[in-house]
Amino acid sequence: MGKDLRFDGRVAIVTGAGQGLGRSHALLLAARGAKVVVNDLGGSKAGDGKSSESADRVVEEIKQAGGEAVANYDSVEDGDAIVKTAMDAWERVDIVVNNAGILRDKSFKNMSDADWNIIFRVHSYGAYKVTKAAWPIMNEQGYGRIIFTTSAAGIYGNFGQTNYSSAKLSLVGFANTLSLEGQRKNILVNTIAPVAASRLTEGLLPPAVFDALKPDYVSPLVAYLCSEESDATGGLYEVGGGLYSSLRWERTKGKVFRLGREVTPESLRESWSQINDFSETEHISTLMESLGPVIRNVEAGPSKGGNELIDVDAALGAKYPDVVSSYDESDLALYALGVGAASDPNETGDLQLVYEGASGGMKALATYAVMPGVNAFLGLAKEGVTAPGLNYGLDRVLHGEQYVEVVRPLPLKATLTTKSVVKEIWDKGKGALVVIGGDSYDEDGDLLIKSEMTMFVRGAGGWGGERGPSAEVNLPPDRAPDVVVEDAIPANQALLYRLSGDWNPLHADPDMARAFGFERPILHGLCTFGYAGRRVLEKYAPEGNPDFFKSIRVRFADNVYPGDTLVTEMWKESDQRIVFQCKVKERDAVVISNAAIELFEKLPKPKEKKSEALATEAAEEATVEAMAADIIAAIDQHLKDNPGIAEKGQTVFQLQLSDPDSVWTIDLKGGSAGPGEIAKPDVTLKLSEANYIALQKGEADAMKLFTTGKVKVAGDMMAVNKLELLAEMPFELVLEKAEARVRGGALAPPPPSAPAAYEPLAPTLFEALAKRLEEQPRLADEVGAVLQFYVRDPDSKWVVDLEHRPPALKSGETDGATTTITIADADLAALGSGEATAQTLFQKGKLRIDGEVEPARRLNFLKGLI
Amino acid sequence: MGRKVNVIGVGMVPFAKPGQSEDYNVMAAKAIKTALADGGVEYAEVEQAVAGYVFGDSTCGQRAVYDVGLTGIPVYNVNNNCSTGSSALMLAKQMVEGGIVECALAVGFEQMKKGALASAWDDRPNPLNLHVNVMNESQGFTSAPPAAQMFGGAGREYRWKYGTKRETFAKVNAKARRHAAKNPYALFRDPLTVDEILASPEVFDPLTRYQCCPPTCGAAAAIVCSDDFAKKKGIGNPVYIAGQTMRTDYESSFGDSMIKMVGFDMAKNAAQAVYEEAGIGPEDVDVVELHDCFTTNEVLTYEALGLCNEGEAEKFIDEGDNTYGGKFVTNPSGGLLSKGHPLGATGLAQCAELVWQLRGQAEGRQVDGARIALQHNLGLGGAAVVTMYRRD
Repeated sequence: MGKDLRFDGRVAIVTGAGQGLGRSHALLLAARGAKVVVNDLGGSKAGDGKSSESADRVVEEIKQAGGEAVANYDSVEDGDAIVKTAMDAWERVDIVVNNAGILRDKSFKNMSDADWNIIFRVHSYGAYKVTKAAWPIMNEQGYGRIIFTTSAAGIYGNFGQTNYSSAKLSLVGFANTLSLEGQRKNILVNTIAPVAASRLTEGLLPPAVFDALKPDYVSPLVAYLCSEESDATGGLYEVGGGLYSSLRWERTKGKVFRLGREVTPESLRESWSQINDFSETEHISTLMESLGPVIRNVEAGPSKGGNELIDVDAALGAKYPDVVSSYDESDLALYALGVGAASDPNETGDLQLVYEGASGGMKALATYAVMPGVNAFLGLAKEGVTAPGLNYGLDRVLHGEQYVEVVRPLPLKATLTTKSVVKEIWDKGKGALVVIGGDSYDEDGDLLIKSEMTMFVRGAGGWGGERGPSAEVNLPPDRAPDVVVEDAIPANQALLYRLSGDWNPLHADPDMARAFGFERPILHGLCTFGYAGRRVLEKYAPEGNPDFFKSIRVRFADNVYPGDTLVTEMWKESDQRIVFQCKVKERDAVVISNAAIELFEKLPKPKEKKSEALATEAAEEATVEAMAADIIAAIDQHLKDNPGIAEKGQTVFQLQLSDPDSVWTIDLKGGSAGPGEIAKPDVTLKLSEANYIALQKGEADAMKLFTTGKVKVAGDMMAVNKLELLAEMPFELVLEKAEARVRGGALAPPPPSAPAAYEPLAPTLFEALAKRLEEQPRLADEVGAVLQFYVRDPDSKWVVDLEHRPPALKSGETDGATTTITIADADLAALGSGEATAQTLFQKGKLRIDGEVEPARRLNFLKGLI
Repeated sequence: MGRKVNVIGVGMVPFAKPGQSEDYNVMAAKAIKTALADGGVEYAEVEQAVAGYVFGDSTCGQRAVYDVGLTGIPVYNVNNNCSTGSSALMLAKQMVEGGIVECALAVGFEQMKKGALASAWDDRPNPLNLHVNVMNESQGFTSAPPAAQMFGGAGREYRWKYGTKRETFAKVNAKARRHAAKNPYALFRDPLTVDEILASPEVFDPLTRYQCCPPTCGAAAAIVCSDDFAKKKGIGNPVYIAGQTMRTDYESSFGDSMIKMVGFDMAKNAAQAVYEEAGIGPEDVDVVELHDCFTTNEVLTYEALGLCNEGEAEKFIDEGDNTYGGKFVTNPSGGLLSKGHPLGATGLAQCAELVWQLRGQAEGRQVDGARIALQHNLGLGGAAVVTMYRRD
């Protein structure tokens, strides 16, 4: 329990205080020490008549109880006179409770202008007049508390009260804005919607309810909101009959149409349930928040169009979930067989693609690079996973083009993570082209394969969007092919190829094939692709080594049946580029066009297995467990190498470790560390050996261990911070000592290794800021100052001029800075990424502010730039 | 309500740097003798004595008064960190107020070692550990002196909250030095410019070395008595204590605010209680001695004492309302920043300065027509003592 809330020395005006709620507010404030102006016109509840009797009675009541009060009999429409009464008596006004009110209930049909106007004059204009008169006084004082009284009838509506509801709700808007205007001067403005049995509601409520709704239940809220202690402002509270609750706006996420999209009454009808869906909502409390979705929609730019099958805005750039897959030699061999490799085992050229014992070693048939991306896409499609905005079924999709590139030769086994994204969408009139990019990363997160799958989606175009590039690429030159190879495709080839992952029944089931309009199951396009790719590599890769493969691009022009004879025609355009096309001999139909393969000029170096190397290292490390003895030995050496630490330290620490028990001394006075007690300690730390090792490794948090009682500190607790001087000691030094201990001898010092280069982030951040300012120049208005940044570690200097227009950003220094910010590059980056706030960095001393502080308090606008 | 309590005698010795002072009992005896002479009181008339000090073995108080007299009176030893001196004064005042004695002595002294404050007890919880936890949560722990981290951190929070410039804090010590130039009891009397103060080595941003009071040795004493006793001594219009309150930490000290952790609410509530007791608000105060252990705390204290509104200290300073010609003269003695801060003596040295001011004996630093004086003395751990003195 805190101290009682008191109003000693405060002056309060309560309007309509002759009876009911107002009287109750006045009595409570006065009982708590406030000097009260009891205002009451003394009229009837309909606002007729005038008498001083009721106000005088309440003043008398207050005085009887030892309080101070004066009466005022003016109408609230004459607010100046009411405030003058307060000023004449006590020369200040701290609290205004706008409570006066009357009723003129009429059904709207029977409402007269007089009924309407008088209600607005008393509730709305009256509250305005009293508040207006008190406002300059409160501003001068730098203190004020204002209460408006609204009504549930206004918030929710009530039959027969159109005049009253509208006037009452006008006060909510009044208070919303006034609370903003008063904040700087410590003038707090709140609105209550009381339900109380008063003169106005007498006769409207059943007796039992009437009794429960005593004004005594309302006034404590008024008093609390008017107290010095309260910092609530702009609030709206429902109160009465024991209920005290706060009311706020709630808004559905609603439906946002990208700008430029046609919005029709029908599109709203369609979205109606979404517009009214309160399952996801936000609570808006400021005008800026209210505008948020609109601003974001403007920032998102105009719509790129679409239709019910493809919503370009939603789909473009959409990412698919990551898919992890792995392959080994057996998958490679199966794929090679699937695309017709080694059909004659006596021709030993292809053995390297299928036989792990091949002389010179097995090699991956490089066109296998297409599989992780395609299989990831097919796998997701099978689970019904598609990108948002792509609302068509696979039955509409024709595989139009395929591109694959490897960063380096495929290893014989790998576990890959494939990240797919919708890269391009083009409107081709009747159909649409959708390009899915799929990049596959290896175990170390290094990029291995880049691919693009272009799909023609039948009947999905025609929204008037861009048609995309139309230039024909990889056209065969105007001469006879340099090389022509024929492949008779075995009748069961599709059945073999599908084992590599494309299980579509169209390629296996005769009934299904007929249902799709083919006379029998067709060969997979990518099988044809594999045949052709294999043949090109065989002819043009140096020594037929598929590792020279760099990339392939093809367009699928027609389908191939197993049993057809495939003719691959090749044109050597350079040592590194071979254009080719494929035909079916029997029908003289081009089945693959606009195709080319690129070769590496030199074989890229196979990658060193980083992950394996690390695993081995870790295994070795695990054999040498660091012990407290190693840490102490490392500290001893560190102290001897860095005599400056002892100079600053001047403290002797004793470590009392448990499990197993041991005692150590770190002598920051003498600059040594060792077992036992070698000097009288200033501080003693008690903790388990495991926790000590974790602390030293940086795996445990000292404060957490301390607060959970796992570290006990005795002695000069203030000196514990000196241990920080050891924070710089690299843990490698401890590991060295551990190894030395295990090997039973001194270890040769390791070759000095360069510390990992730190990539400064300031340039990135300021570049992003410049861009953001270009896009949203209004951002500058929020700061309106010239900021000089001195970035440290590594050093750089920046001037961000948000005062002049257009805002400017440059590296360097200025004389005209409003505010100078000094901050480490890493901390600046943390601001940019939102990991740290300016306030925390400032409190921790990591952000130094010279000059005006106010602009620095807005530094959080850097959030999201990294 | 108890009896009116008068302060009829005060005395102090000039403060000195550690290692350059006399021993505590010598300094204390000098201060007591000066106070007795000031009030025209014989030591034999003193019925009880309260001695305040922080560093030293038990019963240093007896050892100190024994150099003045061996009358067998009760002697209490008081330890309340940096507010020890005024805590001693408050006990002596309560003895008179409650009618237990007619005349009592309060003495405070300190013989400090060099360097930042440290703990002498290694086998039990440090009494400040709750406070340190607040700081750790808010800003971590560095190798700067802990008190500077606490008051500096409160300064950071204040700067962030109200957008206060670094220079504003430096101005506080520039003012302190201006005042100290006229005070023979002050240790640091050379004037300093704001630039010089800012250029001194940084201790803990925003605090530079010239914004931190140094450890000091010294002693001060006061004689308090009833109206009857004063009359007997022929003192017609003595300085009296119009209100005095001690407050210790509230729950708010251990929340997430550094400003509150360093005692803002203790000071604010103590001041409020004093204003109520005296029936005199801050607007009627003429002169203030407040606990400027660090410049940041002086700034916070302006607001805690209600000398200006919260958040308006910068304006208050810039408009010169903290010095001669403004609304209040704060720390006419030069404060802890210029006089130094012997923990046990500080509260009684503040008392001495204010008594001189109300009697018009403050010479070159006299606040014209000073009738109402306010004293604020703060110890972390914690206790804030606020005292109002009047002379009609």
